[in-house]
Amino acid sequence: MIIKGKKYRYGVHVKDRKELCREKPIETMPAPEIVKISVSQHIGAPANPIVNVGDDVIKGQMIAEATGAISANVFSSVCGKVTGIEEIVNPMGLRQKYIVIKNDYRTEEYRFPNLENFEDATIIGRVREAGIVGLGGAGFPTAVKLTPKNPLDTLIVNGAECEPYLNCDYRLMLEHPDEIVKGINYLAAALNVKNGIVGIEKNKPEAIELFSERGMNVVALQKQYPMGSEKQLIYCCTGRKVPTGKMPFDVGVCVQNIKTLFASYEAVELNKPLTEIVMTVSGDGISEAKNLKVAIGTPFTDIAAYCGGEKENVVKYIAGGPMMGKNLIDLNQYVRKTDSGLLFLTNKEANLEEPSNCINCGACAKNCPMRLMPMYIELYTLAGDYEKAKKYGAMNCIECGTCAYNCPARRPLVQSIAFCKAKLKEKK
Amino acid sequence: MEEQLKFYSNSPHVKGRRTTREIMLNVCIALLPACIMGCVFFGWRALMIIALSAFSACAAEIVYRLVMKQPFPRILKEFDFSSLVTGLLLAMCLGSQVPWYVPVLSAIFAIVVVKMLFGGTGKNLVNPAITGRIFAFLSFGTIMTSGWVIPNFASSSVVSGATSLTALLKDGTMPDLLSLFLGNVQGCIGETCKIALLVGGIYLVIRGIIDFKWPLIYIAVTGLMSVALNKFDFHYFLPSVLSGGLILGAIFMATDYTTTPNTTWGNVLYFVVLGVITAVLRQATGIEIVSFAILLMNLFVPLIDKFIINRPFGFKREKKVKEAK
Repeated sequence: MIIKGKKYRYGVHVKDRKELCREKPIETMPAPEIVKISVSQHIGAPANPIVNVGDDVIKGQMIAEATGAISANVFSSVCGKVTGIEEIVNPMGLRQKYIVIKNDYRTEEYRFPNLENFEDATIIGRVREAGIVGLGGAGFPTAVKLTPKNPLDTLIVNGAECEPYLNCDYRLMLEHPDEIVKGINYLAAALNVKNGIVGIEKNKPEAIELFSERGMNVVALQKQYPMGSEKQLIYCCTGRKVPTGKMPFDVGVCVQNIKTLFASYEAVELNKPLTEIVMTVSGDGISEAKNLKVAIGTPFTDIAAYCGGEKENVVKYIAGGPMMGKNLIDLNQYVRKTDSGLLFLTNKEANLEEPSNCINCGACAKNCPMRLMPMYIELYTLAGDYEKAKKYGAMNCIECGTCAYNCPARRPLVQSIAFCKAKLKEKK
Repeated sequence: MEEQLKFYSNSPHVKGRRTTREIMLNVCIALLPACIMGCVFFGWRALMIIALSAFSACAAEIVYRLVMKQPFPRILKEFDFSSLVTGLLLAMCLGSQVPWYVPVLSAIFAIVVVKMLFGGTGKNLVNPAITGRIFAFLSFGTIMTSGWVIPNFASSSVVSGATSLTALLKDGTMPDLLSLFLGNVQGCIGETCKIALLVGGIYLVIRGIIDFKWPLIYIAVTGLMSVALNKFDFHYFLPSVLSGGLILGAIFMATDYTTTPNTTWGNVLYFVVLGVITAVLRQATGIEIVSFAILLMNLFVPLIDKFIINRPFGFKREKKVKEAK
């Protein structure tokens, strides 16, 4: 059933470039020779490695254990031998432990035992056990999200995929609708909610049809960036506004990403731990754009080679989408749970311009989905007056990039606001 | 093989279509019809003034930057045509009878004193073109306000008459509305042909550079206020809207990005007060006052932006907690 959602005025129409690999089915990439798996692929405390150098591991075996309440287990994605525990700088610029495993191409695989029942506690236990985190990009442990402080009434499924270039959620919805519906049912049972709403952008009519055929409540969202942002999605699907500084559960809503639901289905029904993710490899700088199912820890260089290699005029490697993704210095990075894309941008597509003076046109403030005033936040941040910047809403910024995308003077607004947020957090 | 360092930056990694340079060029394009009509009505002298003003404005910026020891390639790279806009706009509000040094001096004043000394594009407190015009008005008073040329397709003749607006304000003479609209009256180069200005305005609205609401509010409020000040005689509405520099000011000058507030409600306040001030000052002084009104309101923009700000999505005013004594 298609239900009518609310319209949201603020945002930007981004040139989406999804046609590069929109019609390409998800391909499973063969496991690489060496994987390097980060122990910190989520928000919260890094997992603690429980294997030693020289240990023999099989696919699906736990190699690092969650520490503390907000953390997630990490599993080996190949069978083989642990050859080292290295420290590598991750895309965020932080030094993290990576477990190096040399693949010996055995086909053994560890699976969890079957669940005895499908009650809320057992499902949440399994989601925690399987190391599932928010796969949309944030990486917040899903099990924590499933145990809110107050009772919820709605589960919203985020199928908006508003980031340009990315198609992995869309392909997953097309190819595995039944599995995702089952995942929705399991998580709805875990949360004890009756009401499930799937939010899908209007540019994916096939997906909207598939889910409404299966009896889900589907909201056809307008094609606008950032529709997949949590607060905007909740507003469009339910009409509720999440108050500033509050979380979705304060308005009785839990938002889950398509990939998270698929992973939850695999964990609950197929007893599989999270060892593979679906990601989009795209951009004009790669020979063949593809949607890939890759093992966690696969080197980006292998992915580039599998997609036919990069072209000559690549100027930017991006992990994630072009609006919020991280710029990689080089391809010596390894697939993490939260990766949804690897983009190779050429100088035609990428933003390489140098900033000029702000002309006060107001394009940033006019389109900001959080209704902030980025020009003043930047002004005061550059002047070092972070408290004034806070007055213009710096702490509410979701760093979606709408302001900087629109800026005719190419001011690095997101960077300034992120810097201001970091300074304000430091003070606390 | 040596690894080549790629371009590295924060998100977002893609960019929108619009640039400062594109905006400024679009404004120049929107001013073209008015320039052409000015030349048609006022002859080659008008063309000379437009060219002089535009050239001196651009030259002033480049020379200023050279004096400030900026490398020439960088100046060319950063040149965003905002000086060209200023020069054209300045010429639009000068009469075609003025001697050659008026556009040159006012353009240099507008660019160097009003814009560059404050930090260049986007840093100016007040609109440079308007301040340039006021500079000319105050410095060369009689040259600016007398000897208006009656446009004539065959030959231009100098008359020592008043513009239709001054006549309207002083004696209540009703001008011929059609010629006011077409521009077949005495006045400044770019102000008279309303149809050309409207074409330019519509172009800007279609390109999404200005919001049609704001000029409309300004013009409507000025018109209605003039009506109110003349004992609600609605015959005053069209003449007061069509005469003088109101339409030029409303479309091209009051909407200048740098000197308008950044919020919707701030803009509403700005343009309504601007309209009221324009009508009241026109009535009180009996001269064309749009530029002074805009200059005055420009100075209030930082204040408006200080007090009217956007509230974040989901913002709730914190309830005041009573302190227990």
